[in-house]
Amino acid sequence: MLELTGITHRYDGCVALADIHLRVNPGEKVVLLGANGSGKSTLLKIVAGLITPSGGQYRYKGEPIDPQRLKDRALCRRFRREVALLFQNPDAMLFNPTVFDEIAFGPRQLALADVDARVRHWAGVMGLSDRLERLPFNLSGGEKQKLALAALLAVEPEVLLLDEPAAALDPRTTGWLIDFLAELPVTLITTTHNLSLAPELGSRALVLGEDHRLIHDGPIEPFLSDTDRLRAANLVHSHRHRHGAIVHRHDHVHDWD
Amino acid sequence: MHIPDGFLSPQTYLPAYALAAGLWWVAARRLRSQLDAERLPWLAAVTALAFVLMMLALPLPGGSSVHAAGIALLAVNFGIWTSFMAVSLVLAMQALLFGVGGVTALAVNALALGLAGSAAAGLAWRIFQPIHAGLALILAGWASVVVPAAIIAVVLGIQPVIAHDPTGRPLFFPFGLSVTLPALLIPHALLGLGEGLLTWLGTLTLERLRLRHVA
Amino acid sequence: MKRDRLLLVLYLAALVAVTLVHDPLALALGLLGLLLLAGRSAPRLLHRSLRVILVFNLAVSLGYALLAHLRGFSPWETLLLLNLRVLFLTLLTFLFISRVNLFSALDFSPTLSWLLALAYSQALSFQRAHADFRLALASRCLERPRLIDRYRASAAAAAWFMDRALATARDSALALRARGFFDA
Repeated sequence: MLELTGITHRYDGCVALADIHLRVNPGEKVVLLGANGSGKSTLLKIVAGLITPSGGQYRYKGEPIDPQRLKDRALCRRFRREVALLFQNPDAMLFNPTVFDEIAFGPRQLALADVDARVRHWAGVMGLSDRLERLPFNLSGGEKQKLALAALLAVEPEVLLLDEPAAALDPRTTGWLIDFLAELPVTLITTTHNLSLAPELGSRALVLGEDHRLIHDGPIEPFLSDTDRLRAANLVHSHRHRHGAIVHRHDHVHDWD
Repeated sequence: MHIPDGFLSPQTYLPAYALAAGLWWVAARRLRSQLDAERLPWLAAVTALAFVLMMLALPLPGGSSVHAAGIALLAVNFGIWTSFMAVSLVLAMQALLFGVGGVTALAVNALALGLAGSAAAGLAWRIFQPIHAGLALILAGWASVVVPAAIIAVVLGIQPVIAHDPTGRPLFFPFGLSVTLPALLIPHALLGLGEGLLTWLGTLTLERLRLRHVA
Repeated sequence: MKRDRLLLVLYLAALVAVTLVHDPLALALGLLGLLLLAGRSAPRLLHRSLRVILVFNLAVSLGYALLAHLRGFSPWETLLLLNLRVLFLTLLTFLFISRVNLFSALDFSPTLSWLLALAYSQALSFQRAHADFRLALASRCLERPRLIDRYRASAAAAAWFMDRALATARDSALALRARGFFDA
């Protein structure tokens, strides 16, 4: 469904992604792991057709995609409906005057007949039914995240790209989100730097190393028990510990943030 | 709308630097005399805000857009001196860290946009505020665009007179006032209307937001 | 003197000196010297410089050429001089930026250096957020966005930036107060 061959990207001469090859099949649930700054968000933006990679090619359903090609109106309409990206900062996505209009924004562009019913359905799913007349700006961080997600799901995309979706959520809502995503009939790529969350979000892991290369593509469990590679990806750190009189050093995951 | 490097003669930008340096010193004094916990981080935050406001696009029909400046918004809400310092810092950052805008022209730009723009906005606001607050904000926004445009037009337009070779050929900016004044004033008189609306709406928003952020 | 501060002084002196030179040949030679000094980064810096000056210089140059044509004089020497000088100054600035740490050059005034660093880091994060606002609108629009949606998106971004600026100012003031910054 998605195919990246030799994707490389630089910002102002700094490498963000180096020689990424990957394929994602329909219905797969993939977790994209990497330390902050390893290029996760950049990769999602390339897959969403928002930035043109410096090198390599990205194909969606066999069709090459980049912002230039998306100037073709028919292609743009189809692609944007089918591929949706949840930005790490949900505020970036919310600009409509009410929660209702925010969710209705996509369906209205498609001139769907059941806009009202769709909005109420997705608002209900996200627990926003009593917020429909509110200004999105005034919602809490977690509510904004859910609103942005509702706005994307209201056009029923086939591919959902989520950039650190749990970052602004409390533990209970995170648990709910994990269950919700597991049931969702879409192709899913979720980024996180949170190792304890990763296995809940998908069974296949892609790991970006600090050199911005893909250092792992496969089942998630063996990777999570490979300390050397975890350390190479800067996903664990080691520091001294003091238990009473005993001081020792071991690898450590700090993933509450 | 700011002057890049290479179009102003040293006879222009050196005195401008001297004048600006004095005024920066005065502004720093004034800010320091109000030194409380808020002042420095406050100035940094207003500077970052000024920086990003200049990047925001005011959309035009047909897909194009123009850039707002936000100077009146800063001047009316945070004071003329804070606005002058914030705009000066933005110009310095743009010139010396991002490489856009001029380094030799920095002082002229800071005086025209930062000081004259802020002062014109502050003055318009103070004069018309008793009559109608919305109108005063729109006029403040308009003045903050038109007054700097006029100053920049004059500074550029006098270059052929003050810097030419013995045969009369211009050494720096090559057009006189008869070209620069209409070329800058006519479009900016229109842009100023958009800036006026932005100042009005922005101030309404800021007033509401400030209630949330009382330290 | 420290390296960075010395280079800052040299850079500023060079800027002024270049605006005193009115000989296209000398400027062209100077430009060549700059490119040699830039070494391997020369093509990249030259490309960036040209991109920055393109619009304004093209407008001025074409306007002046038109004026010269109408009045019947030769514009070439003036245009050569202007464009070479602008290119030289811009390239010099990019070279300076790529080689010198401005914050360390300015640390004779801790307040100024600190203020600039604080404002710069916030400006950078705003710049990234600004790019995200733009991309997010593009990603949610199946067609070209309508004017009203572009207005709403700009307004939402402006409100968000104002809110962030106020919150950041308050938080860093509290942090400074907690560290006793204002007790002196």
